[in-house]
Amino acid sequence: MSELSFARIDETVLGTLAPPRRGYWALVGALCLGVLLGAGCWAYQIAVGIGVGGQNIPVAWGTYLINFVFWVGIAHSGTLISAILHLLRAGWRNPIARAAETMTVFAVCCAGLFPFIHLGRVWQVYYMLPYPNQRQLWPNFLSPLMFDVIAISTYLTVSALFWYTGLLPDLAAVRDRAEGFRRKVFRVLSLGWSGAHDQWLHYSRGYLFFAALATPLVISVHSVVSWDFALGIVPGWHTTIFAPYFVAGAIHSGLAMVLTLMIPLRRIFRYEAIITVDVLENVAKTMILTGLLVGLAYGTEYFIAWYSHNPVEWESFRWRAVGEYAYGLYFMVVCNVLLPLLFLVRAVRRSLAWLFGLSLVVNFGMWWERFVIIVGGVAHDFAPHAWGLYAPTVVEYGIMAGSFCLFFLLFVLFCKHLPSVSMTEMKETVAHGR
Amino acid sequence: MNRRRFLQVAGLGSVAFAAACSPEAPQFLYGPPQATGDQVTGRPTWYASTCRECPAGCGLIAKNREGRVIKVEGNPLHPLNRGKLCLRGQAAVQALYHPDRLTTPLLKEEGRWVPLSRDRALELIAARVREAARRGEGRVRILSEVVGQSALALMRAALGNWNAAGPVIYEPYAYEALRAANREVFGVEGLVSYRLEEADLVLGFGAEFLETWLSPVEYAWKFKAMHAVRGEGKGAFLQVSPFLSLTGANADRWYACRPGAESWVALGLAGRLLGLGRGRHLPEGLRREIEQATAAVPFSRVEQVAGIPAARLEELARRLAAAERPLVLGAGMWQNDENGLRANLAANLLQRMLDPGLARVDAVNRHRVEIARPRAEVMGLFEDLAAGRAEVLILNQVNPLFHLPAAAGVREAMARPDAWVVSLGGFLDETAQAADLVFPLAHALESWDDYNGWDPLLSSLQPAAGKFTAAPNLGDFILAVGFPEGEKPAPDYRSFIAGRLYAEGRLKAAADWPRLLQQGGLFPPPGAPSGAPPANPPERLPEALRRALPLPPEGGPLLAAVPSIRLFDGRGANRPWLCEIPDPLTRVAWRTPVCLHPETARAHGLEEADLARLVTAAGALEAPVYPTETVVPGLAVFAVGQGHDAYGRYAEGRGANPWRLLSPRLEPLCGGPAEGLCRVGLERTGRRVLLARTDGSRTQLDRGLVRTATLAALRGGGPPRKAGLTLHDFPLTLPLPEGYDPRRDFYPPHDHAENRWGMVVDLDRCIGCAACVAACYAENNIAVVGEAAVARGREMAWLEIVRYHDERHRERVFFLPMLCQHCDNAPCESVCPVYAPHHSAEGLNNQIYNRCIGTRFCSQNCPYKVRRFNWFDWNWPDPLPLQLNPDVTVRSKGVMEKCSFCVQRIKEARTAARNRGRPIREGEVVPACVQTCPTEALVFGNLMDPDSRVRRLCDDPRAYQVLGYLNTKPAVIYLKKVTEEA
Repeated sequence: MSELSFARIDETVLGTLAPPRRGYWALVGALCLGVLLGAGCWAYQIAVGIGVGGQNIPVAWGTYLINFVFWVGIAHSGTLISAILHLLRAGWRNPIARAAETMTVFAVCCAGLFPFIHLGRVWQVYYMLPYPNQRQLWPNFLSPLMFDVIAISTYLTVSALFWYTGLLPDLAAVRDRAEGFRRKVFRVLSLGWSGAHDQWLHYSRGYLFFAALATPLVISVHSVVSWDFALGIVPGWHTTIFAPYFVAGAIHSGLAMVLTLMIPLRRIFRYEAIITVDVLENVAKTMILTGLLVGLAYGTEYFIAWYSHNPVEWESFRWRAVGEYAYGLYFMVVCNVLLPLLFLVRAVRRSLAWLFGLSLVVNFGMWWERFVIIVGGVAHDFAPHAWGLYAPTVVEYGIMAGSFCLFFLLFVLFCKHLPSVSMTEMKETVAHGR
Repeated sequence: MNRRRFLQVAGLGSVAFAAACSPEAPQFLYGPPQATGDQVTGRPTWYASTCRECPAGCGLIAKNREGRVIKVEGNPLHPLNRGKLCLRGQAAVQALYHPDRLTTPLLKEEGRWVPLSRDRALELIAARVREAARRGEGRVRILSEVVGQSALALMRAALGNWNAAGPVIYEPYAYEALRAANREVFGVEGLVSYRLEEADLVLGFGAEFLETWLSPVEYAWKFKAMHAVRGEGKGAFLQVSPFLSLTGANADRWYACRPGAESWVALGLAGRLLGLGRGRHLPEGLRREIEQATAAVPFSRVEQVAGIPAARLEELARRLAAAERPLVLGAGMWQNDENGLRANLAANLLQRMLDPGLARVDAVNRHRVEIARPRAEVMGLFEDLAAGRAEVLILNQVNPLFHLPAAAGVREAMARPDAWVVSLGGFLDETAQAADLVFPLAHALESWDDYNGWDPLLSSLQPAAGKFTAAPNLGDFILAVGFPEGEKPAPDYRSFIAGRLYAEGRLKAAADWPRLLQQGGLFPPPGAPSGAPPANPPERLPEALRRALPLPPEGGPLLAAVPSIRLFDGRGANRPWLCEIPDPLTRVAWRTPVCLHPETARAHGLEEADLARLVTAAGALEAPVYPTETVVPGLAVFAVGQGHDAYGRYAEGRGANPWRLLSPRLEPLCGGPAEGLCRVGLERTGRRVLLARTDGSRTQLDRGLVRTATLAALRGGGPPRKAGLTLHDFPLTLPLPEGYDPRRDFYPPHDHAENRWGMVVDLDRCIGCAACVAACYAENNIAVVGEAAVARGREMAWLEIVRYHDERHRERVFFLPMLCQHCDNAPCESVCPVYAPHHSAEGLNNQIYNRCIGTRFCSQNCPYKVRRFNWFDWNWPDPLPLQLNPDVTVRSKGVMEKCSFCVQRIKEARTAARNRGRPIREGEVVPACVQTCPTEALVFGNLMDPDSRVRRLCDDPRAYQVLGYLNTKPAVIYLKKVTEEA
């Protein structure tokens, strides 16, 4: 990185904000259509009934909750990279911290939609808010779903503020070079940042505090999400391992998403000098660890199911391996644990093609992990007479496609309109040489 | 006008204007604000009447709310059914409000139906009939369903006017073989009833007495009176048959025989019993004849023919011989072939040998269905029509075109240009479609009539609501067309019935008629001895048994077309509830599959839900396959009732009609259809259907949801087991403070007020008949979702009868009524973010529909999976909504629902008790399922009352809780089924 100068950083990063070409707007248009498709499917579902999805009794939760957990999981590694690695002073996170934190905010937005989409009567969702009313009805704070409301809204607030705080100096840099209307917009957005010494002082303190505040959230939010399941009594859900298991899985999937986003970004914006292969390699190395953690969790679940002598638990896990959804288990084991081990080979983790390919594989595998847990648990639980299967419907696929489109749409808009690499932190890196 | 006045007028005017103009259309069903006569708005009025859904004739009481019949329940005074109804009876209201019910007469003109006025139709019929009667004798014929005495007398009188003999009473199941057996062995012309409740051992050769045979509700309570465990003993029920019907599934032991070999087993047993010294009381000649006839069927030969090991037959014979009060019942009602006839004959013979005075056979209280004429006579009528000897045929609520084989020529006879067919009845079924004029009649719940399920009994019918259509009842129709003006025996049918009863001396005082209507009939006082055994049984062995028994058909799969507990002979096929409620044995709703032994299915390359083609000499059809161990290899069991070409939206084009596969041959001796079993080709079509299965696993994987105990184990008691925390040693934890243990429970017990409601389900009494399920649908406005939705796991039944096969003996079947367990420690309650599942002060787990936002977490966390979700707004096509219970919310899309223990009935009882200033007493709250259970397997009550029945039953050594080890503390306590074999 030694060849990077402050000017070169500004030039590279601000250069990405040049007026986009037609291809960009075509992509934005296509993604908008995708979002509209998802919104249309949701509107149809609200009008006709949640039955347009494939859920049933016993599998009353389907892709909506799978996608909820999937997107919350994606969010986590953004905070890991931007907050925890910041506290740990891991300098290699600086080039990707901005994009990762952005990914967090957008992924939480997508995730936050799904509990709404999932509800049978979304128009009554305000019952979950503790608002005073004449009937003295109150939400049930014993319910893990109430934990979720609090955890997700806290997470969205903190990560959005953290993201915005980090953006401030860069927004000012954009403002300084912008002209006309853009200048006005960025003047407002940069909140009067002048780069004065006391501003920097407050900024770096504040950023550190936010990092410290966000750090426990990495652990807590996905732990809370895992309790949606672990606090239920369903075999395959009701285990104490769920919180660390989910957190490890969340970081695993999030790191994969970081790679999925960074590799094209780096190529399109010519960020090779900033986002070096070393940075990506570090992400890949972390993924070896998270993959092994996830693998340990998978193994522990099976060990406990066997060791507990609980016939219901054991049948649930036996069926997981040989039943109708066994392919899901094999997807998750191969994609999340075995294939990431290829990163042990240096050539693999330094090859962009491998990195990109494996990141997609892990994303796929992590989606299936949620499928196996959420659908598999209740499909085969205590009462054998009530066992049943579930298959998503076109409407569910439409909403799922809509959520992916929404995520990528927001990210694509972000890339061309805000600095996708933190110039401030890059300059720190260059200056401090770490 | 001053300023003040102007403001007053303007203000009031605008308020009045705004209040009057609501954009909302009225969405409510209003009852009359001023109820008429004996009715009070908001309170039900009950009218006693008689169920006419099958020929059994159970008494019922119809609940009228604001002028509409909303539910029927058994008449507790009626000696036949003692307050109980089966699922078909519960569904009677759906015929009344059926969306496909005809409202006006229809005349066929050039192949199209033209509506015409009722008066015009009556004139037309009267004219045609007069004309035909003038042309000669027997030109007008009536083919009628089984009717009561008044209707029969009126039809006879009308036919007399028309120069013709009496009506031919038609039932597709006319019990020809049983009737022949009663005549030849008991010397009784008719269908005797059985004192099943007095027996200690019942041996059946296929008679479906718990589902369709003769009088199923009556035999269900009688069966449990003998079979339920009492103290340390219980009666035994043994079954010899090639497959298990629901009745067979309730047997203690199943002796699976080759199809068509029941007669061999029965006669073989007769021979062996003679050897064991039974039958000494028989006349010498008869005994010698039995000896001679049975010499050809030693157990070694029976083993060869029937496939039951001789040792098992010997054990069976010894049990029969040792029984104090045995009762032997014959073959299934569908078996009127040569084997069925001989099985019935031999069964009756066995009864005579084992029961010297025939004390358990009642020749006086005979079943009304005995007036149905044998198939041969019915075919004779159609031959007359085909030959032009008859020209006007009036069909009273019968559907022979559906039941009779295509080759019988019924359609051709009806289609003759000189034949004129009038079809009476509410629906355009196959036969009505082929008629020339369709004349709708009033439903039984709108009619005056009488009926007698047992011969000497009188059961009345009265309109339980105003007429829903203006259609007359059968009697008024006959009075209108059958008698010239001025010669009518009575001005209307009601006075005809009353007049007859007074004339016969059955009614005397003027108050007797209203009293009759009030109690629903003339019943002997309870406990009064009634009935008598057959007086002079013949002294000769029936001719058919003296000759060699016919060998069962060899090779090839055989087809048995059997009656269905849900659809009976097909008349139930258009009732949405009966379609939606799954068959108790297959647990498949909406479509009737063909049941094969798994080996047979495999041999033909068929798997569950594969569409198979069934081919016989008479025709072919396609049906999905259901492999089950309750059928012997080589037999295809197919329940009739579906495959309608007409009969409304729910029946039409659904499933297949196995009657189409039979030949029209008649059995010469009894005059019944000769083809009980017919050879059938099973072919793969390579296509599959989505079966609306309502079960996941057929076995319970040793999870102890259904538990059994042997009598020996119950007697022994055994050392008290140490309580632990696992599936098999978790103690009974009642949903009361005593069920809590600080070592196990984190939260303190609930403070319940006066009541903690609970239910006891005695699995030893449950026969799996699903009457409770139908009652629940009727009471609680449960939606019917259709085949596709059931197949996707979206059925709405609050109560289901779970069926499990034994893991090791797959042919053994257990039933488990599964409903909300109203847990004290409910997993659903804690996970709802908005408190929609709410624990009430009386222990109910209430579901607050208004509060529910549809997260469905409660269902996910419910280990019993009894919660049902409204995936859509379910609809009832008009006028079915008139049946809805106004005391129960109709749920809208997006909310969860489940069994409420009929909270509306609890509230009603509480209000009544509070008005009297006292607590609710035992027996004042009866949920719909408990009310109708024919075997009283369900008991409901207050667990906090130490003297209540439920509380005392909790101390039964058989008591356990389903999945109790999850520490949910369910308020539904199950009592283990008592079995002979472990």
